[in-house]
Amino acid sequence: MLPRIALLSEILPIIFYLIFLKRNRGQGLWVIFLYCILSFLTEPFYHILGANIPQYYVYSSFTIIEFTLFSLFFYTSLHEKKFKYIPLICAVIFYVVAITNFKKRSDNPFDSLPASVEAILVISYCILLLYEQMKDPTVGLVYNTKKFWVIIAFLLYFSATLFLFLYTGTLSEEQRSSYWPINNFFEILKNILFCVSFIMKKHYNNPYAMDNFEP
Amino acid sequence: MILLEVTSPGNVSLVLFFGTIGMLALTIGLIVFIIFHQRKVIRYQQKLQRMEQDQQKLLLNASIRLQEEERQRIAADLHDDAGPLLATARLYLNENLVNLDKTTQLQSIYNAKQIIDDTIQLIRNISHSLMPPTLKNFGLESAVNDLFQKISGSGSMNASSRFHDYRERLQAENELIIFRVIQELVNNILKHSNASFIHLTQNTSGDKFFIRLHHDGRGITQNDFNKLNKSNVGLGLKNIQSRLKVLHGKIFFEKDMSQTYYKVTIELVKEEEDKLQEQD
Repeated sequence: MLPRIALLSEILPIIFYLIFLKRNRGQGLWVIFLYCILSFLTEPFYHILGANIPQYYVYSSFTIIEFTLFSLFFYTSLHEKKFKYIPLICAVIFYVVAITNFKKRSDNPFDSLPASVEAILVISYCILLLYEQMKDPTVGLVYNTKKFWVIIAFLLYFSATLFLFLYTGTLSEEQRSSYWPINNFFEILKNILFCVSFIMKKHYNNPYAMDNFEP
Repeated sequence: MILLEVTSPGNVSLVLFFGTIGMLALTIGLIVFIIFHQRKVIRYQQKLQRMEQDQQKLLLNASIRLQEEERQRIAADLHDDAGPLLATARLYLNENLVNLDKTTQLQSIYNAKQIIDDTIQLIRNISHSLMPPTLKNFGLESAVNDLFQKISGSGSMNASSRFHDYRERLQAENELIIFRVIQELVNNILKHSNASFIHLTQNTSGDKFFIRLHHDGRGITQNDFNKLNKSNVGLGLKNIQSRLKVLHGKIFFEKDMSQTYYKVTIELVKEEEDKLQEQD
């Protein structure tokens, strides 16, 4: 039941992005929209291509494209020049790990190592972006920005699934299926948070934003 | 990877459970911390903003009160001095209509002329106190020298001034503001300090323009100035502050290293002056 709900939840952010297209323009959220489409299409692809291509390659390719999109999102979102280098350097490190792992084909369909490295890097990006947003005087309250909710979605999803991804390779099929609902649950939560981000009104950078703040 | 290798299969569930819970706790903690910290920072900034607004309100009130006082002084001068003088002159001229004796008529016309001359002088004095002609025609240096000569001439205090680098005059309005600030400072020194001398120097350093006043009486330090500025007293000081704010200038009150003299420094940025000129 939960995997199906998780799969269906993937479509919600796509719908809300398209409905509130005007609100989401110029916010750099198109990358997240592409990511949502990719996530939604992975499962059907997995079933269609599963017969011809080993599952491991499907998942590995998904992880690489997914991380490329994340890096692109953080690269466009970070404003400070010195911080902009970080997603670039991390992307190089990740590709090295992912390609090395890609060549060492494993029996397990899930690419545990690249997914874990990806989770750690995305958590680091999120902290960096939150730090930059907190320092930005034009951002009144961080939770009034669309990007904040995207960051929270990533932070919660990847911190909840980091250990799961790390240990997936060592788990038996039975153990895996008993733990996998963690991934499904946080996937649903991530998609809900994406929806919140897509639905909320545009935040205009306003130096007097705090004038309307009622603590 | 080391963690994975050293974890026995039996412990995997435990590590996974506590690892996930720990990571989630850390993440939620971080998010809560960020939100509360930011609210705290914004509240602090708002407090600062409010304090600045209150300070500005105080300055504005001070400048309005000062303006009103000045108006009242001019009204009093006109009403108490010029009014009776003109009324007396009118009386003398009226006498001409009643008294037809030539000598008495001439005498009363002469008296009326004397009174009108006095009135002209009085009005000139009022007008000079509003805008010193020396300042308008010859600039800040001459006006300040004039003011200090008058003080010295009165014999109450030894006053001297020296302008080291004032080849280019500042804009007329800005000269007037600086002159008013100097006047206010000198008035305060005369009224409260019991000083035996005042010395004013002007110089420039880079793009900065300095005016320094030394005196050997009782004075105030920067702390006293800040306190007085925040309180409801010290109208003159608030007026100085609001005038300097127009020029984006600064003022520092300090005691000399030797603890003998009090020093007041007015600092202006010449570029600011140019910018103000461009805005006008």
